[in-house]
Amino acid sequence: MTESASASRLQLIENLDLKAAAPLRSELLSLRHTPLDVDASNVQRLGGLCLQVLMSAQATWAADAMPFAISSPSSAFQEALSLFGAEDLQPFVQQG
Amino acid sequence: MDPLEAIKVTFFQECEEQLSELESGLLAMEQGETDSETVNAVFRAVHSIKGGAGAFSLEPLVRFAHVFETTLDDVRGGKLAPDNNVVKVMLRAADVLADHVRAARDGGVVEEARSQALAAALEALNGEAPLGGLVSDELDDMPGLEFTPQTVSDDDGFGDDFGFTPLAAGVIALEPEGPALRTWTLRLRPQNALYAKANETGLLLRELKRLGDIQVSIDRSELPGLADLEPEQAYLAWTIALTTDRSRDEIQDIFEFVDGDCDLVISAEDFMAAPLETSDAGLDAPFDVMALIQQAQADVQATAAPAAITEVLAAPAPVSASAPVSGPAPVSGPATGTPVAAVSVPSAPPAPTPMAATAAGVAPDAAHGAAAQQATIRVDLDRVDRLIDLVGELVINQAMLAQRVTESGVPRSSNIAMGLDDLEHLTREIQDSVMAIRAQPVKSVFQRMPRLVREVAAMTGKQVRLVTEGEGTEVDKTVIERLTDPITHMIRNAIDHGLERPEVRVAAGKGPEGTVRLSAAHRSGRIVIEVSDDGKGIDRPRVRQIAIDKGLIEVDSNLSDEDVDNLIFMPGFSTASSVSDISGRGVGMDVVKRSIQGLGGRIAITSRPGQGSTFTLSLPLTLAVLDGMVVSVCDHTLVAPLTAIIESLQPKAQDVRAIGPDAYVIAIRDSYTPLIDVGAMLGYRTTPLDPTKGVALLVEGEGGARAALMVDAIQGQRQVVIKSLEANYRQVEGIAAATILGDGRVALILDVDNVVAARRREKARSDAKLAAAG
Repeated sequence: MTESASASRLQLIENLDLKAAAPLRSELLSLRHTPLDVDASNVQRLGGLCLQVLMSAQATWAADAMPFAISSPSSAFQEALSLFGAEDLQPFVQQG
Repeated sequence: MDPLEAIKVTFFQECEEQLSELESGLLAMEQGETDSETVNAVFRAVHSIKGGAGAFSLEPLVRFAHVFETTLDDVRGGKLAPDNNVVKVMLRAADVLADHVRAARDGGVVEEARSQALAAALEALNGEAPLGGLVSDELDDMPGLEFTPQTVSDDDGFGDDFGFTPLAAGVIALEPEGPALRTWTLRLRPQNALYAKANETGLLLRELKRLGDIQVSIDRSELPGLADLEPEQAYLAWTIALTTDRSRDEIQDIFEFVDGDCDLVISAEDFMAAPLETSDAGLDAPFDVMALIQQAQADVQATAAPAAITEVLAAPAPVSASAPVSGPAPVSGPATGTPVAAVSVPSAPPAPTPMAATAAGVAPDAAHGAAAQQATIRVDLDRVDRLIDLVGELVINQAMLAQRVTESGVPRSSNIAMGLDDLEHLTREIQDSVMAIRAQPVKSVFQRMPRLVREVAAMTGKQVRLVTEGEGTEVDKTVIERLTDPITHMIRNAIDHGLERPEVRVAAGKGPEGTVRLSAAHRSGRIVIEVSDDGKGIDRPRVRQIAIDKGLIEVDSNLSDEDVDNLIFMPGFSTASSVSDISGRGVGMDVVKRSIQGLGGRIAITSRPGQGSTFTLSLPLTLAVLDGMVVSVCDHTLVAPLTAIIESLQPKAQDVRAIGPDAYVIAIRDSYTPLIDVGAMLGYRTTPLDPTKGVALLVEGEGGARAALMVDAIQGQRQVVIKSLEANYRQVEGIAAATILGDGRVALILDVDNVVAARRREKARSDAKLAAAG
């Protein structure tokens, strides 16, 4: 999966806790139908609700046949995915 | 309150309970009760604190609790004999653990040297290597599992706590000889409330990971597309295979804080032996486990045979109907990295039935256990107070109704009157029951004292044995809360000022170890608490001299022994010649006395030189109701607390003597008692009541001072609901509080101590005037 030149970029905030879920969903929705590169380099904390949003976005982008990538995941982010058993987000992750 | 904060508050409340369990367990062990039940209770207390603290990443607390727990585990496992020495160290460790809990709660820090010293002492007991990374220690307990130590940080969330390496090592490395390892399958489906209360699935998973090896697979079958997703609704569910030597209870404990906020099914599969022999292919191992779990689950579903599951525990949350049921768990394999979104298996509706049936049928113990746990509930104190208030209103209302019925001339034998009697009975029962909700044993206060005694004994170099009695005595929570400080102070005093140093004791023919006795008992509607010591008793000449030096009494005052003893309650009195660390904190016995009086209590002291002193506190059982004598004074209705009244009598003319222009005394059984005209004192009348026309209530105030209160007539005895005058109006001299009577009128409750004291002050002033005039 390659990053398209016109890909939108979304920088994830540090603390993806329950309060972050709704804004994250809105931001993602506003970028729908564009190739998306989600930068996870700042993430220090990933909660279950934001995980849902990201997984749902991933599936939504896939259904739209749009590229969706998570790039530069922080170690906290990767470890959270591992903990949640959600490593399948990983193939979409581009090591930055 | 922030939901997370609220959960933390609950955690700390539970910590206090665990700490008191811990202390009482250790004290029992000190007395030689080292049966497994006691030791287990002690272990559980420390373990629970550690578990909860881990969830909140309270690192110093977790670290200390871990060392403590390890030592206790050795005791539990019979590796360490709980002799006196061991228990003593543990008692001190319990103190430090309590400090850690409080530091975590209140944001302080525990003296590091002390904590480390105790940790080292504990380690010396169990021969453990000095403490390194906590969690790695813990995980080292499981041979062969390759975990990277996690650091538990102080962050409130699990910010930088993701110190895990992926679980590549898996089950393959498990040594067959390790402690009975089992694989548990947990199905966890968070509900919206779990997140709403700021709980995190990640935290739960992380806690599980601390127990052993976990394989997590996520079920996203209900996850909608982004457009349809409600950001705060929980869609995901997890299936976790946990391989651990821990018990189901320990696993269950992790979910304590999310009880009811998630659907959880824990089941155990006893298939570890066979697969271990066959699974030898490194990274494939996790898959083997998952395959086995799937196989087992498939078996369960296929046969619907509850017996296939050895243990099933249903969380208190409704499991049967709403239990998360994915069929064979979707598997995600870190080793392959294959996206498995498509693998997820839709719910298999038939599955919950056998599971639920098993939960209900095969594991009655578990169900019973859960029921037992739910035997108590936590209720906001405000709600209880509100209930008590309302019941108070009900009592008043019932009394008013009864009075109106009586006034209307309905005969006592009528149905209405009999119905009212029943109502009164019922009302009284409701009132008692509601009061009982707030009643708590004084144990919670008493339990803090052994530690205090240990500390004060250590600081003063004295040997002290604390004996407590009547810990189960119940008293209203508001009273309990305000008992700690006075009792603490009295015990400090008893050790610091009362008990002698060991060598002095031996020289006086006593044992080197002094005894401080703390007891509680119910006595005629009050709780009586005694703090006594077998020390030197009050040094009366010295007390007297100090009082003279400080100008508290005249040089030539003629004081009885009792009067001298009571001097220590005077404001500004302190017998310690140097301000010691222990007692001399600017708080004197006068403060103790004031706080006891503030509770409607009395304090008295008896002392015998060379034999010790006894402080006696007498307190009302509750601050909400009072048994009172209802009396009339100049058309006003007043209530005198029954506990203060010794007797009532009709004064005879020959017994009453005038001792001044408007002061009288009355002879009651060979002694003269001041006669106080309540009506005049409260300003209801200007001309004194003729003593022979009224009734005298012989009352006893603080310190045993007696007086006879003159009132016009006695109406009767009644339990009245206390309404604070200060809260609703302002403080009034001579009046303690108010109540509302059956006829709806407000009646004032006399502050007997205050009335008696006011009379004494007045007398002192008039004496001074007379002396000046003379």
